Amino acid sequence: MSLFWILLLPLLGTVVPLLTERFGRTVCAFSTAALPALALVLVLLQMPAVFDGEAVVATAPWIPLLGLELSVHLDGLALLFAMLVLGIGLLIILYARYYLSDKDSMGLFYAYLILFMTAMLGIVVSHNLLQMWVFWEMTSVSSFLLISFWNHNTDARKGARMAMTVTGLGGLALLAGVILIGNIVGSYDLTAVLNSGDLLREHAAYPVIVILVLLGAFTKSAQFPFHFWLPYAMAAPTPVSAYLHSATMVKAGIFLMARFYPVLSGTELWFVIVSLTGLTTLLIGAYTALFKHDLKGLLAYSTVSHLGLITLLLGMGSDMAAVAAVFHIINHAIFKASLFMAAGIIDHETGTRDMRRLNGLWKYMPYTATLAMVAAASMAGVPLLNGFLSKEMFFAETLDQSSLGSLSWMIPVLATVGTAFSVAYSLRFIHDVFFNGEPVDLPKTPHEPPRYMRLPIDILVALCLLVGIWPALLIGDLLATAAGAVVGGDLPDYGLYIWHGFNLPLLMSALAMTGGAYVYISREKLFTFQSQFPEANANLIFDKSVKWVMKHCATFIDWFENGSLQRYSFLLILFALVLLGLPLIDLNTTAGLRPQIPVDAVMLSGAALLAVSALGTVIWHRKRLIALLMLSVVGLIVSLAFALFSAPDLALTQLSVEVVTIILLLLALFFLPQNTPKESSPRRVARDLTIAAIFGGIIGTINYALITRPLDSISEFFLANAKTGGGGTNVVNVILVDFRGFDTLGEITVLGIAALGIYKLIARMGLFKPTSDDYGRPWTEDKHPMMLSVISQGLLPLALLVSAYIFLRGHNLPGGGFIAGLVTSIAIIQQYMAHGVDWLKDRLKLDYQKVIGSGLLIATLTGVGSWAFGYPFLTSWYDYWTWPVIGEFEVASAIAFDLGVYLTVVGATMLILANLGQHTTTERARETEHQ
Amino acid sequence: MQHWAVLPILIPLLSATLMLLPPLARTIRRQRITSMISLVLMLGSALVLFHLSTEATQLYQLGDWQPPFGILLVADRVSALLVLLTTVLATGAVLYSLAGDDNQGKYFHSLMMFQLMGVNGAFLTGDIFNLFVFFEVLLIASYALLIHGGGKQKTQANVHYIVLNLIGSAFFLFALGMLYGTLGTLNMAQMSTRIADLSPGASILAEAGALLLLVVFGLKAAMMPLHFWLPKAYASASAPVAAMFAIMTKVGIYSIFRVHTVVFGEHAGDLAYIAIPWIWPLALLTLVIGAVGVLAAPSLRTLVANLILISAGTLLVAVVLLNTQAVIGGLYYLVHTTLVTGALFLLADLIAQQRGQATDRFVVSRPMKQAPLLGLLFFIGAVTVAGLPPLSGFVGKALLLQAAETATQMGWVWSSILLSSLAVIIALSRAGTNLFWHVSGNKTGTENARPIQIIAIVLLLLASPALVIFGGPATEFAEAAALQMQQMYPEVQTLIAEGQP
Amino acid sequence: MEAIFAFCVGLLTACGLFLTLRGRTFPVVVGITLLSYAVNLFLFSSGRLLINGATILGQSEQYADPLPQALVLTAIVIGFAMTAFVVILAIRARSDLGNDHVDGRNPPGAGLPSDRLKEKN
Repeated sequence: MSLFWILLLPLLGTVVPLLTERFGRTVCAFSTAALPALALVLVLLQMPAVFDGEAVVATAPWIPLLGLELSVHLDGLALLFAMLVLGIGLLIILYARYYLSDKDSMGLFYAYLILFMTAMLGIVVSHNLLQMWVFWEMTSVSSFLLISFWNHNTDARKGARMAMTVTGLGGLALLAGVILIGNIVGSYDLTAVLNSGDLLREHAAYPVIVILVLLGAFTKSAQFPFHFWLPYAMAAPTPVSAYLHSATMVKAGIFLMARFYPVLSGTELWFVIVSLTGLTTLLIGAYTALFKHDLKGLLAYSTVSHLGLITLLLGMGSDMAAVAAVFHIINHAIFKASLFMAAGIIDHETGTRDMRRLNGLWKYMPYTATLAMVAAASMAGVPLLNGFLSKEMFFAETLDQSSLGSLSWMIPVLATVGTAFSVAYSLRFIHDVFFNGEPVDLPKTPHEPPRYMRLPIDILVALCLLVGIWPALLIGDLLATAAGAVVGGDLPDYGLYIWHGFNLPLLMSALAMTGGAYVYISREKLFTFQSQFPEANANLIFDKSVKWVMKHCATFIDWFENGSLQRYSFLLILFALVLLGLPLIDLNTTAGLRPQIPVDAVMLSGAALLAVSALGTVIWHRKRLIALLMLSVVGLIVSLAFALFSAPDLALTQLSVEVVTIILLLLALFFLPQNTPKESSPRRVARDLTIAAIFGGIIGTINYALITRPLDSISEFFLANAKTGGGGTNVVNVILVDFRGFDTLGEITVLGIAALGIYKLIARMGLFKPTSDDYGRPWTEDKHPMMLSVISQGLLPLALLVSAYIFLRGHNLPGGGFIAGLVTSIAIIQQYMAHGVDWLKDRLKLDYQKVIGSGLLIATLTGVGSWAFGYPFLTSWYDYWTWPVIGEFEVASAIAFDLGVYLTVVGATMLILANLGQHTTTERARETEHQ
Repeated sequence: MQHWAVLPILIPLLSATLMLLPPLARTIRRQRITSMISLVLMLGSALVLFHLSTEATQLYQLGDWQPPFGILLVADRVSALLVLLTTVLATGAVLYSLAGDDNQGKYFHSLMMFQLMGVNGAFLTGDIFNLFVFFEVLLIASYALLIHGGGKQKTQANVHYIVLNLIGSAFFLFALGMLYGTLGTLNMAQMSTRIADLSPGASILAEAGALLLLVVFGLKAAMMPLHFWLPKAYASASAPVAAMFAIMTKVGIYSIFRVHTVVFGEHAGDLAYIAIPWIWPLALLTLVIGAVGVLAAPSLRTLVANLILISAGTLLVAVVLLNTQAVIGGLYYLVHTTLVTGALFLLADLIAQQRGQATDRFVVSRPMKQAPLLGLLFFIGAVTVAGLPPLSGFVGKALLLQAAETATQMGWVWSSILLSSLAVIIALSRAGTNLFWHVSGNKTGTENARPIQIIAIVLLLLASPALVIFGGPATEFAEAAALQMQQMYPEVQTLIAEGQP
Repeated sequence: MEAIFAFCVGLLTACGLFLTLRGRTFPVVVGITLLSYAVNLFLFSSGRLLINGATILGQSEQYADPLPQALVLTAIVIGFAMTAFVVILAIRARSDLGNDHVDGRNPPGAGLPSDRLKEKN
């Protein structure tokens, strides 16, 4: 259980600084350090167990279906990294306490830092690959926050974005890799995976896995060609750089390679990719570092080159190389962290990091200078320092390389060259900064930093020396277990001695030393040589390329989604056409077996008229009034067709809807141009005609094929139960108000909503009110012709009576609430036309919104009513009462429902037409939006 | 007699209606209260329905008519889950609107309720024509809501949105004609049993109908090349409306799930999975277009609108993979993406308000009044939607990646999903840095966000950590739901069988 | 007869779609109306065609399929609501955007005098 606390403690620790910030810097720093320190103790407590090779694992279920479980373990490698992450992390916290200025929000900084620490820790102690990936991505996210901590300056923002993008790319690749591994192994459990090395290596997908995993590792560890983001992450506050680029962030990639070393390494593919990448990175980094005038820049590239060195070691494929790799991981972490912190102090005390101005600081800060020099010497690999030992091992390994075949001799040579350069830039770091004359107009006069700011460096440098002198004693066991975990088997016997006798590695070191010294002395020439090349600013290039991508995306989108409805509709129709058309190709006989209705003259002429008027609508669509007339003819014939084919209800409905629609469109023409300009190009017209024609053809074909085939449908039931179950003889109406009353409820809701929406549209409409049509002909002044007003006044009661009749008979004969409603509205509209809006407003006190509301309410409540009798929503009941005069009369819940329909229809239609009509008259709408 | 299944449709209908009538119609305050009350009621009933559905699929015979003759509501796990999701999203949107957006025009609360009624109805109904009706309800409500608040862009976007959808509705009816004309029934469960024994000719006509339905649903789901209406419409809608719209594309996807993988599923004989080969490439293209759009977006709203496209593409992928794992991933991802994109729309509005002239465009602006708070919310939202751990995005993504079985599937699905995620990461990191850090001067505006707005956003964002922490139960529920959905409405079948003499 | 019926439906569809592909709002509305006629006839005919049949019990010995009729009724109403909305939207669009083009922007040189006038102010 205590294993989980190793992760939980730092996680909780992220909130601590935010809480304690207000109690001052020191309190904040120490309270922040507390929980990670505790976690470190927990780790150390596990040390003996790990050394004894016990499996130290704790797991708990999380998302089984995903194969993701909470699982923490400590093996040699995890232990080593956990110690580095927490140990150096603590030193960084102390250091940052003095580094941060009062302007920086310390709480936030620490919170980010601890969040990152937790994520990093999570990676190394994960026993489940998916969980490891989770933490992997968390490091990317939290490092984004750290790098962009000084977000007011552009470099920080750009650097952070670049790091995020590159590592994000790697992270996604890693996810794919991990899932592939999981698919093959059948589990994400680390033990399971580590035991199936052969399985993986022999699997067809092995190359893909290697590439994906390495993509993750290389991006994180800034390996060539992904190395460019690292130097620009230096825009972060120095404590961050010291942490991310020594022990953590960039080491995550190395860790990943080490973690998968037992299962993925051991093949040609792995050696070639890894070793070559490492070698290239080593050389490029070492060479570039020499030319950086910025202290942190120099250290950044040196980090790149040392990471390359470790990668190269992991690519060599000999167990001894793996040992060397692990050893160098430790050493690099130690000396690089201290160097960064030293650089931070120098920056902090002098106000600059430019080595052309920083000279002879020895006088001002001898103590810091000494520390920095020792660390730098270790970086250069001077004997008696830890750097030397791992470098010797490295040289020894380069010598017995065969992975490049006959070219393998190049490896040791290039290794020496690379090391020579690292000697050179180390020399430059020492000599330029601390000696080499006087400082050049520094912003402040430098002096030693506060004692505790230096303490972390003291410790680390001490470690450099101690490890350098008594390696076996200090870290022998740790190295052995860690390396053991990497090799995944027995280690070769090796000795950690300072003195291996006179041998080639030593010679190589000597060469590197002298060579490096020579390079440094003759640096001026090199600088001038280098200055011929334009310095490539990766940041700019990256930014440019991203901008380029975005620009082209934008141009593409502007072209593709060009805001032309005609294109969108065309694509929609075309798509439908393809999907509809292709199946029909297999339809060999169009006509079905169903007996067909004989044609007679009436039908024929009707069809002809329909065809003519439909085509007319198209041909004269620019003369909008004519088009409208044609349209109404079509509608008329459609309703006749319904009548002909035994659908009286449809005929009536179609007819009444037709009338209202036409009135609406006529009103619309008052606001819209009366003519359509001729603007479609002939090609466009031809295109549209073609697609429309083909589509029509397809629909026609399908329709014919459909109605000539027999159908076995469920409708017998309705005919059988309309009377007995629904209490009506008009089956269609019974279906509407009873069998499928729910549809009707939805339908009137739609009508109601439409009315509300239309009200919104009109209420917000600008005062655009033409007084004349497009040709300047003024609209008639004679608003309410005498004749019309007289006649229509007489008509109103009649019309209302008719609608009442249609309504009541609806259940048994063609009719019903909907048609009745439309008839009523038409009658009222007529009054509007005849007398104008205000005349009617004074006489007809109707708030149509309320009418709609009550209509819907009645319909709904009728449905809910049936609950009282323990039946589902909309269950109907009916009974026959004998009323005086009228005689026997049926009372059905359906009538109430239909009343709701009626009211909604009237309300909706009137709300639409009356409001629109208002705008056509000189009187303005009285009610306005906003109550 | 239990009425839980119909409540998610009736409660909004009733409250919307009552808000049209006095006394509630009089003041916005009364409507707000009504709206909140009915949302609470709906949350309650949705939870009950959710719970009941885990025990047994809830069937509701409207008008007490025996299916297939009457309309049947089917609340299985998936429908119940989606109804709950819709209600939660709506709660967030309406809460946010209380800050004043609801008073930018008339009938806001009524229309929101009608919208809810439509969406819930579409999720619950087991009858294909009734599905059409509810589609129309939610569409007309969305038309009316889209112009809420007024403004040229809204009108313009609405014209495109409506015309395309009207054509879509016409196609829907054509398709229904073809299906009824061949299958002779409207009950989806019964349809699924009748397809296999169609005569060859008829089965081709049914196929045509089914494929035409794909066009209709694809239009709603914003599937390439039917997505054109979406970016402008969503980007121009007022914040709460846009947030509410986050569920609308999901209705289309859900319908494809139901119709093209269940009704025309493995039992459909020759017509089994006919639509799938079509959806495959389009799903991937939708992902790509969404990713490109995200990179191209000049403003946060447009960016989020394109995120909706990406989510549509991802969900379509979940449809076509045709295995349980994919459905699990799809369901999980659906819940996650709906809520987080909804939250992001609301957040984008706050950001736009506090950046003055610059609004939500990615240009230099004055610093925001509440930069830290909004920044935190944006960061959480961004990490979630980009699918970065530890927030919910990555679970759904990983589940879907695992669901790809064959090498070809992996190649296509993985590359498109992962690359689109990369695009989102790049775009959002730019967006965030530009919006929050690329500021000029230090003069901020005076307006603070209203607490209710923050609460609304937080409510929606909270789902993300919850989905991760309770990822185990969540995915297990999704598994049960997926298995249930892949069967052909067994309960309905038995109910119909009982009806036969 | 079936053939003629199918032909008419196809023709209406074609005309409707052609008009919906026009660039101005009014023709589009007209087109959609035509399309909805076609749709209603199509959906209606999915119950097969029948002459002198009935859907009123006891009025005839042969009955037409009442279900599609009911569906079409619903469709007509919904169609009416939609048409109404889109018409008013077209008007609103013209008053907001100054022209009646579906994309809210006049193609250069096109448009009516009153439109250009509108766009200036």
